[in-house]
Amino acid sequence: MTDVIVHPSVARLDTQKPKNGLVSRYWLLATLVFMVAVFAFLRPQLVDSSNIATILRSSALTAIMILGLTWVIAAGKIDVSFMHVAALGNMTTAYLLAGGHGWLVAGFAGVSVGAIAGLFNGLLVAVMRLQPLIVTIATGGICASIAAALGKGTSIRIADPGPLGDFIFTNIGPVPVIAIAVAVLYALSWYAQEKLTFGHYIFATAQSEAAVDQAGVSVRNLLMLLFVFSGVMSALTGVLLAASLSSGQPMIGSSYFIDGLTAVLLGGMMLRIGKPNVLGTTTAILILAVLVSGSALLGWADYQRQIIKGILLLIGVTVAMRAVNGRQSQHPEAS
Amino acid sequence: MTRTFTLPAGSGRFLAFLLLVVLVATAFTLAEPRFLSTQNMSAVTRHMAANGLAALGLTFVVIVRKFDLSFAGTACFAAMTIGYLIALGQPLWIAIPAGIVVGAAIGAFNGVVISYFRFPDIVTTIATGSIAAGLAFVYSNGRTIFQNFMSSGILDLNDARVFGYSLSFVFLLGLYAVAWFFMHRTRYGASFYATGENPVAAYYSGVPTRLYTMLAFVACGVTCVFAVLLILAESGTADTNEGANLLMPAYAGVFLGTALLGRTSVLATLAGTFLITMLLDGFSLLGIPFYYSDGVVSAILLAGVVFFDARLREFLSDIGSFLQPASVKKEKRS
Repeated sequence: MTDVIVHPSVARLDTQKPKNGLVSRYWLLATLVFMVAVFAFLRPQLVDSSNIATILRSSALTAIMILGLTWVIAAGKIDVSFMHVAALGNMTTAYLLAGGHGWLVAGFAGVSVGAIAGLFNGLLVAVMRLQPLIVTIATGGICASIAAALGKGTSIRIADPGPLGDFIFTNIGPVPVIAIAVAVLYALSWYAQEKLTFGHYIFATAQSEAAVDQAGVSVRNLLMLLFVFSGVMSALTGVLLAASLSSGQPMIGSSYFIDGLTAVLLGGMMLRIGKPNVLGTTTAILILAVLVSGSALLGWADYQRQIIKGILLLIGVTVAMRAVNGRQSQHPEAS
Repeated sequence: MTRTFTLPAGSGRFLAFLLLVVLVATAFTLAEPRFLSTQNMSAVTRHMAANGLAALGLTFVVIVRKFDLSFAGTACFAAMTIGYLIALGQPLWIAIPAGIVVGAAIGAFNGVVISYFRFPDIVTTIATGSIAAGLAFVYSNGRTIFQNFMSSGILDLNDARVFGYSLSFVFLLGLYAVAWFFMHRTRYGASFYATGENPVAAYYSGVPTRLYTMLAFVACGVTCVFAVLLILAESGTADTNEGANLLMPAYAGVFLGTALLGRTSVLATLAGTFLITMLLDGFSLLGIPFYYSDGVVSAILLAGVVFFDARLREFLSDIGSFLQPASVKKEKRS
C-alpha cells in the first residue's frame, strides 16, 4: 500500500535500542545547531537581531500553516491542498478588503473559506473514504483556481494592512510577537499531542484505523476534525500573509508546497521516528528558515537551496528507515 | 437486494463513456461550431499526446499501488538536458536518448529505494522531484535555452504528419497499443496487477514484486520524458518549468479513467486523458480564462472520483430500490 509515513512494526515498538535511539531522535536538532553555527561562522550577519526577527517571523507563518498538516500526516493521511487553501484565504481577504469591507469581516471570511475547504476534504476522505492524495490534489486545484479568479489572474493590493499588520511587525527585543504566539500555540499542541487522548488517537489511526474504530473511537470524526483544523490553520496563515505582504497573491501557495511537506516529514524523523509531531515540525521549519537565510547571505541561488531541501528530505527518510528497520523483523515479500 | 438503478458496470461503462464523450462534444459544438473543425480536432489530438504520455507511465505506478509525485520535476530536468545538448550542437539522436536516460535514471532511483529499501513512496518522490526540478536550473542558471533549436530538427517532431494526423498523436496511439498488449495480454502485465493487488500472494506465486514495482517507476520516468519532448518540439525552447504542468492532467487522466471504466488500466487512462483534453480544449475555445483550467480539471477529477465511487453507486441503488412500485418489488422477491 501507499505509505505517507514510515511505519514501525507494531509488535516491537517498545524494544527500541537506546544507543541507536538517541542519535536518530535528536539528529535533527543537532543539524539545526550545526547549521546555525556554520552559517554564523561564515556570515555573522545571520545572528543579527534584525535577521533573527526575520527568520522567526517567516518561520512563525509557516508553522501556523502546517500545524494542521502535521497531524493529518501523523494520522496516515495526506493533504496537498494546504498551500492552495492558504492562497484562497489570502485572496478572499484581499478581495473583501478591496471591496470596502473591514479587516474583521475580511479576516473572518478568509478563515471560514479555509474551514469550508477543510470540511470538504474531510467529507471526501473521512466519510467517503476516497484516496486522500487524489482528493486533495483536486480540491487544491479548485482552491488555486478560485483564488486566481478572485483577482482575475493577478494580485490584489491592500491599502491598509490593518491591526494584523501591526501585530505581525511588532517585536519584543529581537523576537516578533507572532513568534511568541506561535510558540504558545505549539506548546499547547504539544500538550494535546503528548498528554491528551487526542494525540494517542492520531498516532493510533496511522497504525490501524480498524483497531481505533473497534476501540470505540470514531476515526471518521477524528479525520474530519483534523482536515478542518488543517484547512483553518492554512487559511489563517493566508489572512496573516495578506496583512504581512499588504496584498493578495494568488500564486503564494506554490512556494510553500515543498517547504511545508519537507518540514512536516523531516520533523517526523525526530523524537517519534516516522511519526510527524509538532516539536519535530518546529525544528524542521527552523532548519529550513536558517537554510534560506544563510544561503541567501552566502549568495546561493534559489535552485541550490531546493536541491539541498530535497537531499535533506531524503536523508531524513533514510535515517527514519534505518531506525525502523533496526527493530523490524524482515519479511521477504515486497511492501 | 434488487439493484434497479445503478450506474453501468463492465462493458456498459465503456458505452457510458462514449455517451459522455458524445454529449460533451455536442454541447461544445452547440456553443461554438468551430469545436468540430479539423483544425481544432488536430489541436485536441496534439494536446492529448503530451498529457497522455505522462499519464501512461503514471498508470503503471498506480497499478502497483504507489504514487509518483516526482515526474514533473524529472520532466523539467530532462527537458533542460535535451535543450542543453541541442544548444551544444549535439544531434538529436544523442540529445533525446540522453534525456530518456535521465528520466530512466531518476525513475530507477525512485524505484530502487521505494521497492527494495521500502522507503515511503510519496515522501521519496517529493524529495527526488524537488532535487530534479532544482537540477534543471544547473545548465543555464535558469535561463531559457533556445540556441540551435531551429536547425536541430526537433521542431519537425511537432510538424510531421502521418496519414493526416500529427506524428505525436500517432506515437501516442502506438505506445498505448504496445502498453495495452503488454499489460493486458501478457503474463508480465498480469504480474504488475498482482503486485498491486496482493504483493504477498504475488511474491509467493513467483512474481518478483520488487522488480515490478521498480520497473513501474522507471516507466513513469521514461514516459514523462516522451511527454516533455513533445512540449519541447511544440514550444521550440527549453524552459526550466517546461514539465511542471504535466502533474495535474496526468493524475486527472489516470484517476478519471479509473473512475469511468472501474479499474486502472491502459485503456482507462487513454479514455480519461481524452475526456480531460477535450474539455480543456473546449473551454479554451470558448475563451474561458487560463486560471480556470486547473480548477476545471480538478473539478472533473473530483466529480469522476466521487460519482463513480462504488459506495455512492450502492447508496444510489439503495435509494432507487425505495422508489419502485411496491408490487414490482414483491414480484422480484418471490
